[in-house]
Amino acid sequence: MTSFRALQSANRRKTLLLLLAFGVLIWVVSYSAMSYFGGGGIGVIPIAVAISLITVWGSYYASDKLVIRMTGAQVISESDNPRLFALVQEVCIASGLPMPKVAIVLDSAPNAFATGRDPNHALIAFTTGILEAMDREELQGVVAHEMAHVANRDTLVSAVAATTAGAIALISDFLMRMLWFGGRRERSESNPLVLLFSFIVILLAPLAAMMLRSAISRRRESLADATAVEFTRNPTGLRKALEVLARDSTVVQARSTAVAHVWIECPLDSKAVSKLFATHPPIHERIETLRKLEGGAL
Amino acid sequence: MEFIIGLGVVALIAFYLIAQYNKLIRLNIGVDEAFAQIEVQLKRRADLIPNLVETVKGYASHEREAFERVTEARAKANSASGVHDVAAADNMLTSALRQLFAVAEAYPDLKASANFIQLQEELSTTENKVAFARQFYNDSVRTLNTAVKTIPSSFFAPLAKVGEREFYEVDDPTTRNATKVSF
Repeated sequence: MTSFRALQSANRRKTLLLLLAFGVLIWVVSYSAMSYFGGGGIGVIPIAVAISLITVWGSYYASDKLVIRMTGAQVISESDNPRLFALVQEVCIASGLPMPKVAIVLDSAPNAFATGRDPNHALIAFTTGILEAMDREELQGVVAHEMAHVANRDTLVSAVAATTAGAIALISDFLMRMLWFGGRRERSESNPLVLLFSFIVILLAPLAAMMLRSAISRRRESLADATAVEFTRNPTGLRKALEVLARDSTVVQARSTAVAHVWIECPLDSKAVSKLFATHPPIHERIETLRKLEGGAL
Repeated sequence: MEFIIGLGVVALIAFYLIAQYNKLIRLNIGVDEAFAQIEVQLKRRADLIPNLVETVKGYASHEREAFERVTEARAKANSASGVHDVAAADNMLTSALRQLFAVAEAYPDLKASANFIQLQEELSTTENKVAFARQFYNDSVRTLNTAVKTIPSSFFAPLAKVGEREFYEVDDPTTRNATKVSF
């Protein structure tokens, strides 16, 4: 019997495993750098981590303001859209979360996102398209999905993933440059097989890091679907909402891979992104999972 | 060296005990807050009723029985305190309101009036908020009761003077998980 609690713990466990895989990847990259370049190779790691930390955590801290600017969202007050505010208040009561800022994006493509460094600085935004395309029940499902991202601290999780992936990309970049300029330490006892392995690891590490980052994003989307059901106890609303999104083929105008992960549905053309690098699970899988929840007892 | 390790172990145990105690206190306060939220939402619903009764009276002044039931239920809801009484008054008001809306079905002019439509929308969102507040309260009670009954936190329950709390019962089985109400 599927239940939202079982889905939640499965997704949390998988997120943890993926974060562990990130740790292993960093360890393997460090080992390769060491075997290829000796002490000099290790030296770049703290530099790369520091650069990645500074760039990503700056944008994490100001995430609500940054995403507003990148998507052109406008923060609204209760009198602008009382119905939407009533829906958000309902989900706040259901989840015990504080009231977030609510914003509107002028865009005919139906979509929504949540951001902010913690529940007290949360912002959830909806495109004008989604407000027109959905009825009350469906919209409640969408609001619950976005508030679930807030409750699960997904801005933080994706910031951690982005920092790690960024650091690995920088390390690999530094090492490839060192390789180019012949920085390899001459050591007669070096095993050519180890050297080849190290070279391949350094070459492919950024790709693996990006895949891990996307996999984490997909797990957080599934988790947000399950948590949304915990809030509303109504899988039907979110299922219907996802069906509306699946039927709709318009893509968000202000689309950009940089903010793709924040939307409820992947805003990019699905064929352009291969499955391994997708930030969202396929929408039909999400609908199927919600259907199973509708069949089971909550 | 041994002294420092000993001190560290004692400090760790102390932190653990404090954390267990605080967890129970925090959960107990959480249940109080969740219950306060139900009362706030019920109050808000009760405040909508005089307006609703006036509007319906304008079109269906002779349906006295329905008005009296709602007014009586509202008075009970305003004076109720304690989980059991509040839940009973809540159930009574819900069924009285349902009857009033059933009466309204027979008056097309009333159903079409802008005032009535707006009141209906306000009542349905308030009804959702009441349902969600109940659900959040019952989830909080479940978490607290689990902590009170399971080891190790159960050892601290008498010390923190925290015990099991009462669930908020709803009579009508269809409203137990209700999220969307259409009168």
